Amino acid sequence: MAKMSISKALKDFWYGKPHTAEEGGRRLGDLHEDKTHLYKHREWRGVADTMYYFYNIWLYNYIFMVKDIMVMHGPITFAKGLWRYRWVGQTYLPVLHWFDRGLEGMRGEAMKASAWHYRAMVSTTIRQFQRMFAADTRLHGGKQNDLYKHTIAHNETVWGGVFYPWDGEITNVPLEMIPYFVTCHVNSHTVLNYIDAVQSIGLPGDPCPMCQAESGIFVLDDVPDYAPAVITCNEACDASVSTSTLQDWFFDKPLFSLPMPMLFDDPLVKKYVMREIEELWKFVEQQYGIPFSWEKLTKKLELQNELQRFEWEKWEVAAKSDYYPVNGVAQALYRIYQTQYGDWEIWHVTDKKVRKILEKCVSKKINSFPQTRHRVIAWSCAPLYYSNWCTWAYNCWGLNVIINMDSLMFDMEIRTDSYEHTLEDMAQYHMWAPMRRMAVGGMHHMFELWDYMKRFNCDMVAMYDQLQCKGVQGLHGLFEDEFRKRDIKAFWIPHALPDSRTVSRAEIRRLINDYMSTVMHEEPLDPSLLDFDDSMTW
Amino acid sequence: MNKICKFFVKLLGILFVVNAALFAVFFFDLDGKLLFNVVEPFLKKHYDNMERKDTLKAPYEIDKFPKYDFNS
Repeated sequence: MAKMSISKALKDFWYGKPHTAEEGGRRLGDLHEDKTHLYKHREWRGVADTMYYFYNIWLYNYIFMVKDIMVMHGPITFAKGLWRYRWVGQTYLPVLHWFDRGLEGMRGEAMKASAWHYRAMVSTTIRQFQRMFAADTRLHGGKQNDLYKHTIAHNETVWGGVFYPWDGEITNVPLEMIPYFVTCHVNSHTVLNYIDAVQSIGLPGDPCPMCQAESGIFVLDDVPDYAPAVITCNEACDASVSTSTLQDWFFDKPLFSLPMPMLFDDPLVKKYVMREIEELWKFVEQQYGIPFSWEKLTKKLELQNELQRFEWEKWEVAAKSDYYPVNGVAQALYRIYQTQYGDWEIWHVTDKKVRKILEKCVSKKINSFPQTRHRVIAWSCAPLYYSNWCTWAYNCWGLNVIINMDSLMFDMEIRTDSYEHTLEDMAQYHMWAPMRRMAVGGMHHMFELWDYMKRFNCDMVAMYDQLQCKGVQGLHGLFEDEFRKRDIKAFWIPHALPDSRTVSRAEIRRLINDYMSTVMHEEPLDPSLLDFDDSMTW
Repeated sequence: MNKICKFFVKLLGILFVVNAALFAVFFFDLDGKLLFNVVEPFLKKHYDNMERKDTLKAPYEIDKFPKYDFNS
């Protein structure tokens, strides 16, 4: 007996504990402290994977974060920004714990490939906030330096690709991507300050909390003054129109509005958007005095197309085999970040590394998610404060999120063979923006779910229900009807996008637990993850 | 020769101790505990007490910038 337990202990030490309760289980839930969800100790994943996580993820990322800051405008710029802006200080210091949440329980190639996606997002985030701080008049005694004069601010749902014609001359930095969007994933507490701020001036609490937070940053005077002009966008919803109005008021700069039409898939509307993009280009030329460059535009679009082609290869492996090594949260966040921000060197570096891992998995037939019970497609907008729910769902129930709506929005290449074709495809891309195509894009695009479900060989749907999005709310009943009619297994995840107070993470887990036990009659793989208190966690 | 050997042994020893210390920080999540219990509360206090401009007092001058005309 003692001999057996020693041999098991040695095996667990060398390979890490097995996943399931029947095999003696690793009980991931026991690793955490109550409420704060900090680790009592980090997970022992076996010698090789623990050492990889320690050196190549934890240490590597801490070192490269420092390196990125040193290379991109230096530590003094960072320190000034950190001291001035809540969203950077409160959010980005615990970034390695964002890795931990997304990568918990991952082993081998899944851990490695997913971590590379996170690394790329961290580097791009640093690039953006360092540029903001380096150009910020508030951190430079009101002086408009050269960087300020060569930076353009824009709404986060304006695709960075529309600024490709000025690559290397004007740097585009989205207004909300770093102060708002990414913060919610890394530290969900920060955004609550901004939501409360906008409500404190009398705005109602029921519109989309994303729009509330984006306005609240301005109300709290927490936006760097880093660019002479701004491009806004309706983000395809009426609440965001109000955000733009508030931004116009508080930012007080020459402003161009690049709308997303509420109607699309219509040739006349497309013509209208093409003209809008041309107008935007003219506006940038006028404001910055730098001419439009067709060569730069096509060169960058070709690079972006390269990224798209690799994404299609990844999808092919995910759809047709069990050898896809990227977990649900890394897939979703990397893809939305990359497609929205536009082409940038780090995406190519990352894709190269991930390609190696992907090819290894395919050639050696490595199944990185061996405990998969259901192949899940996640649809509609995800809860930003719990984007790692799918990591939990795999560890607890074997629900493997293969693909998600955010990844599928920009399912296209952009032609560069003629000005007309390029403009036409760019208009299409713009109209397929986040939350536009498959969230409030009408029934046709919402119901693309059925085709993608088939294409990715999924047998279950995780249906997000953004409680404060009036657009999607109207389609809830239609989905229920279709799920029944088509006999599709589906569970709902209600949430309020960035606001973790409306539907807590624990409540989301409870709903999934209920579905899996009462409807699917299944037992959890890891019972320690069924119920725990993480109410205070980042 | 002896001196060089000693130097390398010392260097290896230092590297080992640094490595072990870093691994302890990693494994027992000491970075998380420090950030959660010390750094974040300190910074929050700083941000909460910061003097901020009352943005609502800024006038909303919608005609401040010349009207943009695409066809001009």
